[in-house]
Amino acid sequence: MSVELKKPTLKDYKGDQPTWCPGCGHFSVMAGLQRALVNLGLHPHEVIIVSGIGCSSKLPEYTRAYGFHTIHGRALPVAQGAKLAAPEMHVIVTGGDGDGYGIGAGHFVHAVRRNMDITYLVMDNSIYGLTKGQTSPTSPHNFVSKTTVKGNKEYPMDGLSIALANGATFVAQAFSGDVKRMTEIIEAAIKHKGFSLVNVLSPCVTYNKVNTYDFYREHLVDVPEPLPTREEAIRVVKEHGGHVHGILYVEKRPDFQTLLGIDWKMRDIAAGPMDEATIREIEAEFM
Amino acid sequence: METIRTLEWKVGGQQGEGIDSTGEIFARTLFRYGYYVTTYKQFMSRIKGGHTNYKLRATPYPTQHAGDFVDILLALDDETIPINRHELRPGAIVIQEGKETAIREEDGYLLAVFPLKAIATELGNPLAKNMIALGMSGALVSLPVEEFYAFIEKQFEKKGEKVIASNKAAVDKGYALVREHLADRMKRLEPLPRSTERLYISGNEATAFGSFMAGCRFLSAYPITPASEIMEWMAAHLPAVGGTILQVEDEIAGITFAVGAAYAGARAMTSTSGPGMSLKTEALGMAAMSETPIVIVDSQRAGPSTGLPTKHEQSDLFHMLFATHGEIPRIVVYPSSIEDAFYVAAEAFNLAERYQTPVILALDLVLSMNRTTIPRIDAKRVPIDRGKIVTPEEAKKYGEFIFKRYRFTEDGISPRALPGNPYGVHTASSNEHGEDGYITEDPVIRTKIMQKRMEKVKTARLSRPFYVQDGEADVMLVGVGSARGVIEEVARRLREDDGVTVGGLFIQQLKPLPVEELRPYLAGKRMIITVENNYSGQLLQWLRQHFPIHDRSTAITQYDGNPFRVTRVAGEVKEVLDRVRRAQEAHA
Repeated sequence: MSVELKKPTLKDYKGDQPTWCPGCGHFSVMAGLQRALVNLGLHPHEVIIVSGIGCSSKLPEYTRAYGFHTIHGRALPVAQGAKLAAPEMHVIVTGGDGDGYGIGAGHFVHAVRRNMDITYLVMDNSIYGLTKGQTSPTSPHNFVSKTTVKGNKEYPMDGLSIALANGATFVAQAFSGDVKRMTEIIEAAIKHKGFSLVNVLSPCVTYNKVNTYDFYREHLVDVPEPLPTREEAIRVVKEHGGHVHGILYVEKRPDFQTLLGIDWKMRDIAAGPMDEATIREIEAEFM
Repeated sequence: METIRTLEWKVGGQQGEGIDSTGEIFARTLFRYGYYVTTYKQFMSRIKGGHTNYKLRATPYPTQHAGDFVDILLALDDETIPINRHELRPGAIVIQEGKETAIREEDGYLLAVFPLKAIATELGNPLAKNMIALGMSGALVSLPVEEFYAFIEKQFEKKGEKVIASNKAAVDKGYALVREHLADRMKRLEPLPRSTERLYISGNEATAFGSFMAGCRFLSAYPITPASEIMEWMAAHLPAVGGTILQVEDEIAGITFAVGAAYAGARAMTSTSGPGMSLKTEALGMAAMSETPIVIVDSQRAGPSTGLPTKHEQSDLFHMLFATHGEIPRIVVYPSSIEDAFYVAAEAFNLAERYQTPVILALDLVLSMNRTTIPRIDAKRVPIDRGKIVTPEEAKKYGEFIFKRYRFTEDGISPRALPGNPYGVHTASSNEHGEDGYITEDPVIRTKIMQKRMEKVKTARLSRPFYVQDGEADVMLVGVGSARGVIEEVARRLREDDGVTVGGLFIQQLKPLPVEELRPYLAGKRMIITVENNYSGQLLQWLRQHFPIHDRSTAITQYDGNPFRVTRVAGEVKEVLDRVRRAQEAHA
């Protein structure tokens, strides 16, 4: 059936009532995402939002679109599977630093190098919030929490450099304290044809008293334009201890599905008898 | 010259020396000659070196068992004889690669040593020594040499006339050597009517073929023995029909990619073995919780942990029946033959979509990797059924801002909207949720939706949930998967040699177990004997949960990595029968 739809508005994207703490950075991420989708003229039925587990992973419930609230760390592979089957859909993955850089880190690196046309928003608050305040993969060195009572003896994961080093074609960092800029970045990320990573510094006001709005306002260094090479982008990220803000690097490269060059028809399977001609053709292999 | 109607043949050598392809050439040649051919490969978890062997059994009737014995053994390395000697039938012929030609009687067999490599080198192609041995095999059963020619011409078509000619010359040499040295040992394998109505196929191939024909267009998996061939077959066939496989980063991605593709509307699967199955169990729960239809193949090998990675076992039954935390609806099916693998795989996709839940398709190493001869595919047997997928028109009728993906219905199965449907917008969830997919902890809704999920699969049935043979017998041998092959042979032998009739029951649907349909063949029998390749008798335990058979049931088990030999099982069955008879007499 042909469907004529009005231009999408923010109202179309309103989902369930959020349960995040007042002041949580994730409200800004959701606002930025919904605004970006509206700006791009996308309807909720053209979008799939996939998440893992954690505070941030509740976003698909709070944003009306096709969604899948999966299990801890597995949002990326579920999202990529969905994109392969339905390439016309805009697939967005949301999750936290624990989900993406901890339990799901293996998938992260492979999603980067696979370069499928999806957008990954890591809502990075450097803490496990939903389990009530444990150290995360991006918690600073010597960070004190219930699980690192004498301070975190590990060093934080640098997701931006991992993505850059493994061939990511769109890498950016946004900040929940600047929704306008975040909206622009997410819009650009969704428009980008290929894997786009947006690491959003999204403070947890309840459990992380180090990585606060004020901390980021003080430390973030603006990157006004994407840097010319990925080497330069990594250098800038390292120079500022990861405290950069903006689109760091963009590269035009055919995405995974284009490279496979398949005439995608995965979903076009109709009920009815099996195709006998194909059976006879394949049987010849076994005769 | 003696005429024979069955042949058991084996070639052994070092891995990487063409043992497999030598076996395959003979198998396919005999298949085309009109015989039912079944093969079994024994190999190790390494690429080069180490003993490997390829067993072949040609029979005038269909069978699934590669046989206990060997009539002709090609020993292309020093290990072949010591490792396989116990399988030699009295009067067997062993052709061994050696320094000088020598024929002598050994204890129970004839040893014929030939310098195969030197002879092949003399012919100008040292690689053709296996072809000489093949020619000798053919000559020993008086197979017309043209049967090999036809195969060689096809096999080496792309390599050119010279290669074809040198391989033909090698086969000819094999025939000549037999006529010169072993003429008095030649037999005649009776020619059978040739049939174009049969396929020579492995269980992995049949599973992949069935999945493909059922409309599976996406397979994500991680390489693992003995399941990799499923992925490889699909890789060769899917792109042409708008699908793909994806070799993903790990076993968890294997299942979660498939879940994503299925959510988006593709018929999707993953294939693995025990270690991968262990890694997939959390996501198995997610598929069930989110009511996403996927098919998971577990081709079992000998566990636990890494276990014996290239050896046979049926020890994941409990894992497939119960694994994952919490309680989920699941359907577990297990084809009892290579032929059934096609149809059960195809039906697995129908069941998954009809019941919106994961279907686990069990295989085992023997079922996966053996090849056998089956009738051609019946294209009408499994029509595609996609279940309750709603069109935009149907979804629009509900008039919902958030489509109730988990709507309560009479049969527990909710209409399913696929992404892209303008009136079906919803979130699927691994968290407990209400009808609208949103998280809930409401105890009333939790209880109700739990019941909906668990009960919806109760009516799920394969079109052939089990097969029965001699169901009226008062002793039943019960097995799953490749055990059917051995049970059929045991029953045949007991009938022919001892005049005893035992029944056979081959269960293809393990969960939900079709209890009422199975009852006539399990309850009220004198003895139930399961035949299974595991330590604890998992099938027997599963049956005991459903039928009051504790005092008249037992399991014949084997977990040494090898498939059952008919002789051993037949012997044990006779012992059980004797014990039962003695107990009855004592009682009387």
